[in-house]
Amino acid sequence: MAQVTTSRPEEADNLKKFHFTREMMRGDVYRKYEKAINAIWNPREFDYSRDIEDWPGIPKERREALLGLTVRFFAGEQAVAENLVPMLEAAWALGRFDWLMYLSTFMMEECKHAEFFAQWHERVPRILEPDELAPYFLEREKTVDPTGRFELKEVVHEGLPRYAREVTAAVQTQDRETIERAFLRFLTLYNAHVEGVLTMPSYEIVVDTCTAWDALPALKQGYRRIMSDEGRHITFGTSAVREILTDNPEWEQVVHDVFNEFRGTIVGLVEYQKAVPELDLQKYQVGKVRHYRNRCREMGVTADDTLIEEILDPSIDFVVGVTAG
Amino acid sequence: MTVTKRKQFVCLAAGCDQVIEADGDEELIEAVQAHVAEAHDSFELDEFILAGATEVDSEP
Repeated sequence: MAQVTTSRPEEADNLKKFHFTREMMRGDVYRKYEKAINAIWNPREFDYSRDIEDWPGIPKERREALLGLTVRFFAGEQAVAENLVPMLEAAWALGRFDWLMYLSTFMMEECKHAEFFAQWHERVPRILEPDELAPYFLEREKTVDPTGRFELKEVVHEGLPRYAREVTAAVQTQDRETIERAFLRFLTLYNAHVEGVLTMPSYEIVVDTCTAWDALPALKQGYRRIMSDEGRHITFGTSAVREILTDNPEWEQVVHDVFNEFRGTIVGLVEYQKAVPELDLQKYQVGKVRHYRNRCREMGVTADDTLIEEILDPSIDFVVGVTAG
Repeated sequence: MTVTKRKQFVCLAAGCDQVIEADGDEELIEAVQAHVAEAHDSFELDEFILAGATEVDSEP
């Protein structure tokens, strides 16, 4: 990067007021920002008429099974939007204006994803108020692994807020190393574990289900648009992890420790896999492994082969998530 | 001899490790997506392909 020097203190102060550089604008994070700006879509412009027509014709138990997934996504999108605030704090504290710019699109997109679910639930199954949605929410911490080997934790609604508070506390210390380490944990959990591995098969399950049923095209369209946005979110996080690890290679174990804390959630089957008989259960476990190995490659860490074996082990078949109540 | 750069992506699906090469990003995205659809009945997002791609030398 070109260094500009000046002998006048007031000029040096003024230099700090400008964050744009040619190098920043050529960078990968800035490219993601540009892509996000160019790819803005509006859930209110979707045509929901076919979904409204299809809904009553789908058997009740299938509708309820599908709502178990869509309601969880609806809550999840709101949770991830709320938990983006510490990411902005960390980007500011670390002096990364390119991260801050990109995160502004990230946050808008997460809010818009939540809005898509609001639009779809209000128009199609006609549920929107919290007391209408809550009965369908699948509580993951109620899941029991019959082998007793894995503990199931609520990663989105307990893990993410806890890790987010760690980032906020770290920012208060004003110590760069403390902030980077807390941010590394948070990025690993949020972008690599939750968005990058755990959720990816669930998107595919909904898309495959809509295809198998030849129904609900607006739901399918929404999931496809969300996934496209998520690709930028995930690779922003994994590239930031790689950057932090490049300066602190001894922190690689921190990444594995985060995955280990929520290992059971990844090893178990996603709740919906057993609710739709048409779906091939193993396909999504195999897909999970591909996503995990992709994330490890992007972060520059060595994949945990034991975790991969556990994901693929057909004897480990407990289902994450049970119906509330 | 002219050495040109090509883009390479290794498919990390379990038991696959297929190496896919193309002249540029767009061609690579198309080739990887075709491979993942055909071999794994799935899809890979554009950003994942770009993030996992490397540049390799090629002798035309």
